Amino acid sequence: MNQHPNNQSSVKNSDNKSPPVSGPLVAATLAPVLGFYTLMISHHISRVSKALDQLVHAYGYWIPGSLGNGPDGSIGSYSGKETLALMVWFLSWGIFHFLWRKQELPVNRWITLFLGSLAFVTLCLFHPFIDPILMLLLSTGG
Amino acid sequence: MSTEQYLHGNLAKILVRTQAILALLILLLLAGLDFFFPTNYSLQAGLHGVSAISAIVAGTYLTHRAYALIRGVHVNFKSLRYWVLGSTALNFLGAVSGNWIYMRYRGENGPRDWILKNAPDFHNYMMEFKEFVTLFPFPLMAAVTFILFYYGDDIHVRRDLTQFVGITILVSWLFLLIGFVTGLVLAKLHFV
Repeated sequence: MNQHPNNQSSVKNSDNKSPPVSGPLVAATLAPVLGFYTLMISHHISRVSKALDQLVHAYGYWIPGSLGNGPDGSIGSYSGKETLALMVWFLSWGIFHFLWRKQELPVNRWITLFLGSLAFVTLCLFHPFIDPILMLLLSTGG
Repeated sequence: MSTEQYLHGNLAKILVRTQAILALLILLLLAGLDFFFPTNYSLQAGLHGVSAISAIVAGTYLTHRAYALIRGVHVNFKSLRYWVLGSTALNFLGAVSGNWIYMRYRGENGPRDWILKNAPDFHNYMMEFKEFVTLFPFPLMAAVTFILFYYGDDIHVRRDLTQFVGITILVSWLFLLIGFVTGLVLAKLHFV
């Protein structure tokens, strides 16, 4: 894990410094993916019942426009989903960056995982794809 | 180089720049004229449209820089850092103004009510998808900006890292384009 997987990485740069490690890059790109999954999961949770929607909404009261009605409207529980996603994004970024700031992680493997997880979360936000699966899960869960 | 060759080279450069500036100005009118539309929400609509188009233009330009990163050819990292920073700021503005216009979308007798009554699939499938994927470009470009500033020019010795940055720019652009097209479709269906 602490070896540089890239063939160019063993080359010292012009200032004779060691080449940079990949840990901070992996931390910076994993954190938004976790934020996107939080967005997706909180969205589907809020669709289950009014009570769960209000629970998610409560996290977003701090955002201007989260409450209101009439022609001007409000963004409703979308504010809570954004807040939860922001919390997971920043918190996980801070933690992973601290843990991996000096660590070499396999970037080539992470590219595949990164793209795959982005494709999957995007599909899970597309209702014609995810709704039959959610209905099945809800019916088997009682 | 002969004087004739120099003039022709310069002419091409002037034409390219003029074309780019004119294209940008004309494209901006697509949403910039929203500021003058007869609605109480013209400010929100104009701001969101202009920031979305600007983000698309910056994001599309950055895809050209991304291929240089992926191919591993010489890259001016100083200029790239400022471009990704600008793109991140535009994506942030797009997300914030999107929240602002979304309030009216959901408001009484707003676009959502009209679409649910007349063409519900556009809300249930398209808008419910668009409202989330349009949030993706900002964190992705924020990560790219952080990476380029954090590593500095030293990143050039790690081809795998520069490739990853290039791929992330391309992915961010894809989500930006999806959001832009779906947003335009919904605005065409029923304006705020």
